Formats: sequence, C-alpha cells, structure tokens
Amino acid sequence: MSRYEWDFGVVWRNLPALLSGLSGSLQITVAALVAGLLLGLLVAPLRLSRRAWFRAPASLYVNVFRSTPPLVQLFWFFYAFPILIGVRFRPYEAAVLTLALQSGAFFAEVFRAGIQSVEKGQWEAGRALGMMPATLMRRVVLPQAVKRMVLAFFERAIELFKTTTLVSTIAFADLLYEATVLVNQTFRPFEIYTAVAVTYIAVITAASLGVRSLDRRLARADA
Amino acid sequence: MIGPSPGGSLPRDRAGSAVVRLEKVHKRFGDLHVLRGIDLEVVAGETVVIIGASGSGKSTLLRCINYLEVPDAGRVFLDGRPVATRDGGVPSERELSHLRRHVGMVFQQFNLFPHMTAVQNVMEGPRSVLRMAQEEARELALRQLEKVGLLDKADQYPSRLSGGQQQRVAIARALAMEPLVMLFDEATSALDPELVGEVLLVMRDLSQAGMTMVVVTHEMGFASAAADRVVFIHEGQIHEQGTPDEVLRDPRQERTRAFLRGLEHI
Amino acid sequence: MYEFDFAPLVRYWQPLMRGLGVTFQLAGICLAAGLTLGLAVGLMRYSRRRPLQWPAAAFIELFRNAPVLVQLVWFYYAFPILIGTTMSAFTAAVLALSLNTAAFSAELFRGGIQSISKGQWEAGRALGMTEATVMRRIVLPQAVKRMIPPLTNRAIELTKMTALASTIAVPELLYQGRAINAVTFRPIETYTVVALIYLVLLWAGTLVVDFLERRLREADA
Repeated sequence: MSRYEWDFGVVWRNLPALLSGLSGSLQITVAALVAGLLLGLLVAPLRLSRRAWFRAPASLYVNVFRSTPPLVQLFWFFYAFPILIGVRFRPYEAAVLTLALQSGAFFAEVFRAGIQSVEKGQWEAGRALGMMPATLMRRVVLPQAVKRMVLAFFERAIELFKTTTLVSTIAFADLLYEATVLVNQTFRPFEIYTAVAVTYIAVITAASLGVRSLDRRLARADA
Repeated sequence: MIGPSPGGSLPRDRAGSAVVRLEKVHKRFGDLHVLRGIDLEVVAGETVVIIGASGSGKSTLLRCINYLEVPDAGRVFLDGRPVATRDGGVPSERELSHLRRHVGMVFQQFNLFPHMTAVQNVMEGPRSVLRMAQEEARELALRQLEKVGLLDKADQYPSRLSGGQQQRVAIARALAMEPLVMLFDEATSALDPELVGEVLLVMRDLSQAGMTMVVVTHEMGFASAAADRVVFIHEGQIHEQGTPDEVLRDPRQERTRAFLRGLEHI
Repeated sequence: MYEFDFAPLVRYWQPLMRGLGVTFQLAGICLAAGLTLGLAVGLMRYSRRRPLQWPAAAFIELFRNAPVLVQLVWFYYAFPILIGTTMSAFTAAVLALSLNTAAFSAELFRGGIQSISKGQWEAGRALGMTEATVMRRIVLPQAVKRMIPPLTNRAIELTKMTALASTIAVPELLYQGRAINAVTFRPIETYTVVALIYLVLLWAGTLVVDFLERRLREADA
C-alpha cells in the first residue's frame, strides 16, 4: 500500500469555493427556516382544532413528513413532483420546498406541544372567568407557550442546518457538494472531507452550546 | 356586594330566592358514577359548606355549577335560569361564557396567570371578558386587592408571592367580576398550615358581607363559624345537611359520624 | 394529465424488496451495536470518575453534532485512508450509523436511569445492597421499561438514516429505487412507491411508540 502524504494545503488553496459552499448551506437553512416557521404556525392550530375537517389533513401532513426519510422527500420533490405539475425545478427550489415542508411539520409539532404543555388549570381559570376560547388562547395560553417554544425552535434550526447536507445529492452547491467536487478534482478525500466535517462540527457545536446557555438563562428567569 | 353587575343580564332583586339549583344531577367518569342524583339549592346570601371524603364527588358537584364538568343527567339552574339549552343539549362556549361571568371560582391550585402581575391578573376578567376600559379595570382591580389586603403587592408576579397571598389574589380576581355566587374548590388544601388562616379570614369576611358562597373544604373550624348550612356528601349522594350545629356537633347519620371521627386526629 | 404506470415497479418488485431487506439488516446491526456502545458511553459519561467522563462527552458531542451524511461520506472515503485499508460501503455505513446511534442513545440511557427516583437507590442501599446490585436488580429493570419509547424512536430515526447510505452505494431500499428509476425513467411511480414503503413502515413504528407511551403512563399512574 503506497504511503499517503497529507496535504492539508489543498483545503487552504480552495477556501473560496468551500466558503461559497458554506454560504449556500446557510442560505438554504435560512430560507427553509422562515418558510417552515410560517407553515408550522399555520398548521399547529389546525392540529388542535376540534373539527376533524381541519385536524385530519394537518395530522396527515405532519405524519407523512415525519415518517419518511428526508432524502426520499428530496428526491420525490426534485425528480417526481416537477413532472407531475409540469414545471422544471432547479436544485435550489426543490431543496427549499422540501426542507420548508419538512421543517413546517416539525414546527407544527413544536407549537402544538408548547400549547399543550400549558397546564389545564390555566385553561380552567380562564374559562371560569367567562373567557371565550380565542381570548383565552391569546391572553393566557400563547404567552406562556411561546417561552417554551423558543428553545425547541432553535434546536430545530440546528437540525435543519444538518439536514441541508442532503441537498448536495441533487447538486446544489452547499458545503458538502463543493467538497465532493473538490475531491473529484484533487483526489484528496481525507484532507477535504475531514476539514469539512470539522467545519460542520464546529459550527453546530457552537450553535448547540449557544442554545444550551439560552436554555439555562430562560430557566433562571422563570425561577 | 349586591348591586347592579357589569354583566348586566341577570336581575338581582330576589333575596331569598335560589341563586344556584341542582336538580337530580348525575355525572359519570367512564365506569365511575361520581354524582348519583344531587338535589341542591343555594339561596342568595347563603354560605353552604360541602364536606365529605376524597372521591365523594364534592369537587365534581362544584364544577357542575359553572359547567367545567358537564352533567350526564339532571339540570342546573343559575339565578332561576337553566344552564342547558332549550332542547336539553350542551350549551355553546359563548352561552357558557356569558353564564360564567356571574359565577366566581377559586381553585385549589390558585391557577393565577404567571405571566401577569397581581393587579393584571385581577383586571384580566373585567378587561377581556367584560370589555372594561383599561384604566377603569385597573382601578376596580386595585380596590379588590385592597379588600383582600394585598394592595401593596399589586405589581408583583405570582412567583414572588406566598401561597396564601396567591390564593387571596385569586379570590380578588374572581370577585372583580362581581359574581352572583362564589365557588371555593378546596381553596386552602394546597397551602402550608400557617398560610391557611389568612385565606379563611378573607372567606369569612366575604361570607359575612352577604356573598352567596358554596365552599368545598376540610376546614371544620371555618364550617362551624361561617356556614349557614353544611352538606355532607358520601359516594355521590347528599347524606345529611343542616346547620353547622346539627351536622357537625350532633349528626343524625352514622356515616356522617364516621367521617367526622376520621377527621379528629388532624 | 400524467399517466401513471406502475407496471415497471411490479416487474422490479423483487430487487426493491431485496433493498428493503438490506435496510432492515443495516438498521438492525446498527441498532444493536449502537445501543450497546451507547450504554457503555452513557455510563462513562455520568460516572464519577473524571478521566472517563470527558472522552465520553467529547464522543457524544462529536457524533451528535456532525451531520449524518457527512459521517457516512467520511467513513467511506476518508477513514480507509487514515487506517490504510479499503472498506466496503456497507461496513462504512455500519460504522457511521452505529457511532451516531451510540452518541444519541447515551443521553437516552442517562435520562432513563436518572428518572428512577433517588428513593429507590436509598431503599436498596438501606437494605445493605451494593451500588452495583441496586443498579442491576432495582434501577435498571425499572429504567429499561421507561426507555422503551425513546429507544423505539431512535430505531425509527435510524431507519430514516439508512436511506442516506444510498449515496455511498449501499444497496438498500432507496438505492434500489434510484437504480430502478435509472432503468425505467419513471421517477414519479418509483419514488412514490419507495416513499410509501417507508411511510407504512415508519408510521407503524410511531404508532407502536404512542401505544407504548400510553401503556407506560397508565402503569405509572
């Protein structure tokens, strides 16, 4: 077996391409995050609705997106869906669409759980005062639920960033894709993939620690 | 206490008439038949204390009055008007919201809104349910807080108040709606012993001022001193009722005696 | 209006099912290996001996925070170079997914063990048991019951991750789907069927979790 000589210089020499890939990952994350958040806010109340007409499609949506692998969803939206509706999708569009729908499903769950985590006694106190459900939700339940949701939101955002790596498989220029292109050009998979792995780990660990410190601060504020 | 109410819809000129009436009320939870035909009347200005063992149905009875529990059979009347709709179905949230404005409830776990200060908690009912202007509601709230002795804590959050203080705020919150009747669901059971007194004092003053009250409690001292009538419930039925002297000092039923004996070592 | 034609999928049903078999294989092996390693790591992470704690913590951070696809790619392309040998795609996938599962389940085990009230420990020790015996006879049996729902969730997540192995040419379900699509040029039917197979499998899994959680809550109440 020939000796492999490390050459991490290849990473430094190609930094611009890799950084542009990182920027691509972040762009997709932000776009899908915003869209998913709005979607989740729309769907969550439907899940809690007493009318099956609203509840069933919302539950179906959430369950389908939680019970299928994200990569399968991505392929479906990139290869199958465009044909079905007769439109051509660029990787960016398919990626944002898939990730937004996926995040929307998770956010809907986060919001639903947040609302349900407010204790029953609060609902009863509001109703005993004669509050209508809408007022009760607006003045008593949501203000308390939102605090618990903030944390879950950030955790989901981090998950989303991790999931963006999948878009490299449909040739969107994210960090992993740029890395793969580079590996095919320079035949240095060890240095490049290690550098990229370290980058992802660094970014995500930093974000994760940030969220955990936020969690501690919120917990202290409640005490 | 008795006067024109902001809710406006129920007239209050009948002293001596029934403010609350339950007629053959039944309630089941799954297989458990918790209320088995309750007939109860509470007259204006009366303080009725309900006693009984855990699981006897006392809380459920109370919660049927403001329909936090929906009876499976029987009827509930508030100030002479039936709570159920004309065709006997369950009233809508809107109808219930109108009725509940006239019934105040104080919970065992206080259930204060943690994201609001004391005065904000007390003003919340008048503001969002009675649509009172903010300034007016705040003044009303401050007056109620003064009545329960907590004016100086008006801008504190519930987490900073002791259990007894929180419960007094909860009482003020219910009173701010100027209800026809106040329901107390084991209001002191979750309190440390040294804090129970301050709450019972407020409840006694309220009773003496003429408020119609239905109180579920274990505090026999309060029942003796403040109740006009004591009702003993056992396994979902009223076994005995009468004045505090009659029921607590010399009960006629053996079950009542047994229950009271069981409380003796507290 | 698009004309659906599922015939090619019927024709290629066998390879598709073989792919599903590989999915089960991969998930099964990684679950077993991952949980075993995860238990060890979890115990290390929360043991009272400092030198055991921090490597375990580092391991957990590393394998939880790296995106799974990056782990797969690294183990297939980079790791063999590091250790100077070649590796099959399946092996690389097993390595990546087992280590990933271990990192996530370490927390799970800790949660389960810590959820048993201290009173149980005290009662056991008051009877004269050693800590190890208390762990073995009293705490772990109760903890394991509580851990079943989150463990089942982990299994579901893991199964979803096996689809990523298709990118390094492990012949599991999604890979077979892509191969079939390459031959039949019917992405809609192909990917819809693949999605449905996963959906049925994993939705059944979430129903099992819900059922177990309900049983657990009733048992505790």
